[in-house]
Amino acid sequence: MKVLVAVKRVVDHNVKVRAKADGSDVDLNNVKMAINPFCEIAVEEAVRLKEAGVASEIIAVSVGDKACQEQIRTALALGADRGIQIETEGAVEPLVVAKLLKGVVEKEQPQLVILGKQSIDGDNNQTGQMLGALANMGQGTFASEVKVDGDHVSVTREVDGGLQTVKLKLPAIVTTDLRLNEPRYASLPNIMKAKKKQLDVYTPADLGVEITSHLTQLRVEPPAERQAGIKVESVAQLVDKLKNEAKVI
Amino acid sequence: MDFTFSEDQLLFRDSVRDFLVNEVTPERVRASWEKDDGRDAELWQQLAELGLCGMTVPEDFGGLGMNELDFVLLAQECGYVALPEPLVNTALVAVPVLSRLGGEAASEYLPRIASGELRVAVGCSENGLVEDAAQAGLLLWAEPEAFYVLTAEQFSTRYNPSVDPSRRLYAVELGSDAKPVATGDQAQALYQAVLDRGALGAAAQALGLAQRMIDISVQYSSERQQFGKPIGSFQAVKHHMANVAVRLEYAKAPVHRAAYALAEDAAGASEAVSHAKLVACEAANLAAKNSIQVHGAMGYTWEVDLHIFMKKAWALAGSFGDTGFHKQRIAEHIFADGAALGAGTTFA
Repeated sequence: MKVLVAVKRVVDHNVKVRAKADGSDVDLNNVKMAINPFCEIAVEEAVRLKEAGVASEIIAVSVGDKACQEQIRTALALGADRGIQIETEGAVEPLVVAKLLKGVVEKEQPQLVILGKQSIDGDNNQTGQMLGALANMGQGTFASEVKVDGDHVSVTREVDGGLQTVKLKLPAIVTTDLRLNEPRYASLPNIMKAKKKQLDVYTPADLGVEITSHLTQLRVEPPAERQAGIKVESVAQLVDKLKNEAKVI
Repeated sequence: MDFTFSEDQLLFRDSVRDFLVNEVTPERVRASWEKDDGRDAELWQQLAELGLCGMTVPEDFGGLGMNELDFVLLAQECGYVALPEPLVNTALVAVPVLSRLGGEAASEYLPRIASGELRVAVGCSENGLVEDAAQAGLLLWAEPEAFYVLTAEQFSTRYNPSVDPSRRLYAVELGSDAKPVATGDQAQALYQAVLDRGALGAAAQALGLAQRMIDISVQYSSERQQFGKPIGSFQAVKHHMANVAVRLEYAKAPVHRAAYALAEDAAGASEAVSHAKLVACEAANLAAKNSIQVHGAMGYTWEVDLHIFMKKAWALAGSFGDTGFHKQRIAEHIFADGAALGAGTTFA
């Protein structure tokens, strides 16, 4: 079974991001970049499927400029077999990414596509669902457990009220939640091997996709600074403040 | 000639940094202090699985066949997190020395070291005390006239506390059946190799420790407010850290050069190592001193993490030759008859 995994290059989750002085975007100058944590979980799940003898080949795909090859190489070091970069310039919105991934799906015919449920930069939570619609594939989003059984995959989803398990006919799409697995670290021998693995570069035109923008980012601003707390004299005063000032009880 | 680190070396450093920063937290270091043997078997196995224990082991013995220059940046990262496990002594000292010794000892022990199965301790008579001797299954003991490779049954240990609780130091007594595997010139060369690689490892870790202390202090001085402003905005405070940053930057090149000299077996490698050890430990010492000043009384408390890094810096300053020893080696070099002195020649 061929598995396609999407990986996105984002600001490392340990970095405290700052808005540019003019508020036009997030300042990415000299900022450490990494694989989106949810995508890393997707790679780990694919690798575990391969180790279990379920998957035969893992393809890591990323959309972006040449720098995103770094994240594809990381996925290769974690256990993916080959990589695909779809070369684009500047920011691309989820619908465009979904269309590009659909092009790769048509080319590679994977049985399973695993994506992160969202990226920690855009927080859109749209690409997997859009790809499901465009590729006419069943989808199991927010997965906390994935079990492949013959030509079906069972996905346990984390929903508001608890857990929901759905059974999908392959080919299918899975988007990963945080508790699906704990990604491994790439070992040094695997980092070296990753450099020799195949990495193909496609343009959107190769996949028959025209990049059009439907969204305009108007402004980026940091959250309001948290005000200092106060010490209350008594429980009664605390209850009073919660009731009358914070209005939470 | 291009002396910058290669893309691979920087990639290794970044991946090892990610692992160490996430896994070797100050809480985990403190937890290791509470253990009788001071060691974390799970962490050691993780390091082995990442390929770090076998990084300098020759490829024929199941390693990656890398050298001192490839490892020096990783040793800095080990310092940055104050790694309690003896990875630097293993990969940067014991493995290259055992490889140099060759023969049966190398073929028997190197594959087991690479897999993480065998812990090895290494010491020399210049130091006296050996880190992790009681926890190791194998001891490499170097004297100027004799070099020993000893299994756990062939030596006994006596615990000596260190200023750094992460370091478990032991005085070692060789058993009656301990026989040297090398004597004469070969033993002298191996003794030198232990001393130089050990000092390089200490110097590289000192760079990482200094950087960590700067980072901790900068963060603290950005958050701690006095007179309505972060204390880091006051010149008297920020200059403390600027001085350390300058000293640290000047220490990096000698450490990297010493690693290159050892990897290439270059003439003057020992002087380069002494130079590196002196300047790197001075930078770490200044970082400790000035970080205490920036933190004020908080810097002395057990709760603040600063002391984890300070104590390791102090301990490493005396490891594999103290300041006096390394200054003496430099002195012998520059006062030798016909010594070429001056810019570009003293340490050339």
